[in-house]
Amino acid sequence: MILDISFIGILIGSIMASSVPLILAASGELITERSGVLNLGVEGMMIIGAISGFALMVITDNLFIAIVGSMLSGVIISLIFGFLTQSLLTNHVATGLALTIFGIGLSAMLGKSFVGIPGKEFPILFSSLKESIPFFGPILFGHSIVLYFAFALPFLTNYFLKKTKLGLVVRAVGDSPVSASNQGINVILVRYCCILYGGAMCGLAGAYLSLIYTPQWIENMTAGRGWIALALVVFATWSPIKVLIGALIFGGITILQLHMQAIGFRIPVQFLSALPYLMTIIVLVVISRDSRKIKLNTPTSLGRIFYKEK
Amino acid sequence: MATDLRISNISKIYPGCIANDNVSLQFKSGKIYALLGENGAGKSTLVKILSGVVSPDNGEVFLNEKNLKLSSPLDAKKNKIGMVFQHFNLFETLSVFENLSIDATEDNESLRVRVNEILKKYNFSIDLDVPVLNLSAGQKQKVEIIRCLLRSPKVLIMDEPTSVLTEQETEELFISLKKFCDEGILIIYITHKLKEVLSLCDEVAVMRKGKVVSVSQTQNERVETLANKMVGQKLAKIKKKINISKNKDEIFKVKHLNFYSDDPFETNLVNLNFSLKKGECLGIAGISGNGQNELFQILSGEIITPNTSIIFRNKEIAKLNPKQRREYLMAFSPEDRISQAAVPELKIYENVALNNFKSSNFFEKGLVNEKKIKEHSKKILSDFSVNTDNVELKSQFLSGGNLQKLILGRELITAPELLICYNPTWGLDVGAINYIHETLIKINNQEKSTILISTDTEELLKLSDRIAVIYKGKLSKIMPSEEVTPEKLGVLMGGGSID
Repeated sequence: MILDISFIGILIGSIMASSVPLILAASGELITERSGVLNLGVEGMMIIGAISGFALMVITDNLFIAIVGSMLSGVIISLIFGFLTQSLLTNHVATGLALTIFGIGLSAMLGKSFVGIPGKEFPILFSSLKESIPFFGPILFGHSIVLYFAFALPFLTNYFLKKTKLGLVVRAVGDSPVSASNQGINVILVRYCCILYGGAMCGLAGAYLSLIYTPQWIENMTAGRGWIALALVVFATWSPIKVLIGALIFGGITILQLHMQAIGFRIPVQFLSALPYLMTIIVLVVISRDSRKIKLNTPTSLGRIFYKEK
Repeated sequence: MATDLRISNISKIYPGCIANDNVSLQFKSGKIYALLGENGAGKSTLVKILSGVVSPDNGEVFLNEKNLKLSSPLDAKKNKIGMVFQHFNLFETLSVFENLSIDATEDNESLRVRVNEILKKYNFSIDLDVPVLNLSAGQKQKVEIIRCLLRSPKVLIMDEPTSVLTEQETEELFISLKKFCDEGILIIYITHKLKEVLSLCDEVAVMRKGKVVSVSQTQNERVETLANKMVGQKLAKIKKKINISKNKDEIFKVKHLNFYSDDPFETNLVNLNFSLKKGECLGIAGISGNGQNELFQILSGEIITPNTSIIFRNKEIAKLNPKQRREYLMAFSPEDRISQAAVPELKIYENVALNNFKSSNFFEKGLVNEKKIKEHSKKILSDFSVNTDNVELKSQFLSGGNLQKLILGRELITAPELLICYNPTWGLDVGAINYIHETLIKINNQEKSTILISTDTEELLKLSDRIAVIYKGKLSKIMPSEEVTPEKLGVLMGGGSID
């Protein structure tokens, strides 16, 4: 292997691509959790997004419809979660787990007839620039529109939460739903919206896998990424920018350790495979040490059932 | 313009409890009205109805003869009814300004101008850009008041506003309230503190068991008459006990208690030294958040601090955990009944079993001896006159007073030599407070000692033999309680110095 500058550029480009589903799903879940709702169904919503995106692509042959459809399917399945937890007041944790199990099973059933069908090439942007500029070309250019959106998303999320009125309302609801309700904020509505938004982002994350990253349908193809996204949100202490950093570290070490395995480093394979998980946790714990910031960012009411007095 | 608020035949029935039974009242601006009653008398329900949080089953509310439909807090806001809740309705992790801006209709710049005007007008000093959790209780309350004032209210309802304030803060609050009243705001003041009614309010309505039992001018009332109306029976007056002799044995001694924390939400404790004699009650006064939590946790063994010496009954116990300390006959009653002292989801007898001490035999060979625990629990319920004999009841269904009696009973039935309690009567009504005070005096009379950490100066003066004040983690000198006045305590609690 030659460690020249252009190879490193390509490597970084591929690391970015591999972290996109994590960024999307974690950013969506972050908003949901900031409103005080703990949705453990991320994995389930992602896999539903993956199969519905792929199925729509095969049926309609239209990538735009496939992408939008995957987000809609994420919204629909998260609506089930929202209805159960917000309207019927079921336990967040149990409902979220059920949602994941349901999503994995349903996607396997729906996906039976789509196994083995080749995917379609997803258009990439600025492909000429990618080739012509060494190092920076493969990093900055030649990606799908979804990747650019994913990398903008943590900054948009941060802006939304810190600078906009609506973001303030979401944070307030997550801090104290009772106070928010007494101030006349419709807590249930805000939480529904956050849950549905989280669903849409998870659906998109799934579609990125089945339409862009590895364009095909494989059963259980999210392979635990939903759980990683969930963990990222917590270890990043609900800060969107730290979610981005965590996702990049995780994606980066995943790719690097594969290369190390290929080269034949004298390190046990099991250790290398565990490395991304270990490093992500260590780095996020180290950058999130400030207990004051943790307290300010943590949604106090996370996972607690809220019901309005009548 | 004068404001006239009329409540007509309001009823609200919860399963198993009539919270408001045909309540009718009338209020006019220019006066401060007190709504007095014990916990559970229906004051809070009535107030929640007025602020749109709860809708009544029956009855109407009229503001200046206009029939109000209060089906959500927004309706109350629109009709200029402002409400300061007992448990603050603030967002702790948001900044003061964010808290104020959340339901504002104007842009941030003009809001800031208006907030600053209010701060100046009423002499409030609050940093608008710090998170609310950094504020003291008094400041938090001011934020709530500012939030109401921003909407130029016609009616301002204050629900038990002084339960968390110091003497000085209470005085400041009263000055502000009188100002608001002069400006034409109708003020309804909910409380179970009789003295406040007499010193602040013009008219008082007393509620008992969901009904209004009396409406009168406060100038015609005295503490005793109001108390009897509120409780519905004559209350026994507790006498402050006579100080014990000075030649008793020392039972408890703390030396060099230091505590340092990285957590900015904890208070560091600086070199506390004190000792306690048999049968003595040491009161520790202070505004909450000045290190009481940390002190309680260190005394109970939840936090172990290095280089501290705690001698109890001639043994060094500073390194022992709470269970070991209990076995040396210490007992603890923490401030938060629901989350620290008891597990609300567990049944009464299960909560009793949590405090298993060595001689209890609650557990045999790793198995639970349910029969024994239940017998033991029944004894506590009857000995400490808890208002139920059903040990299978979940603890969350006990009222605050009954839960506190259960906890005290659980702690005291082991006949401890030292009881450490933190705000034992916080939020309780007169009857329950009386009972708990009697109990605490009784154990002193039995030659057992108590350390009473409390934010209620009246309680401290009533029960303590000696009093010290904790301020920002430092302990003042310890004074015999006959030398202490509420004013002195107030000065020390606010960080001032006396003599």
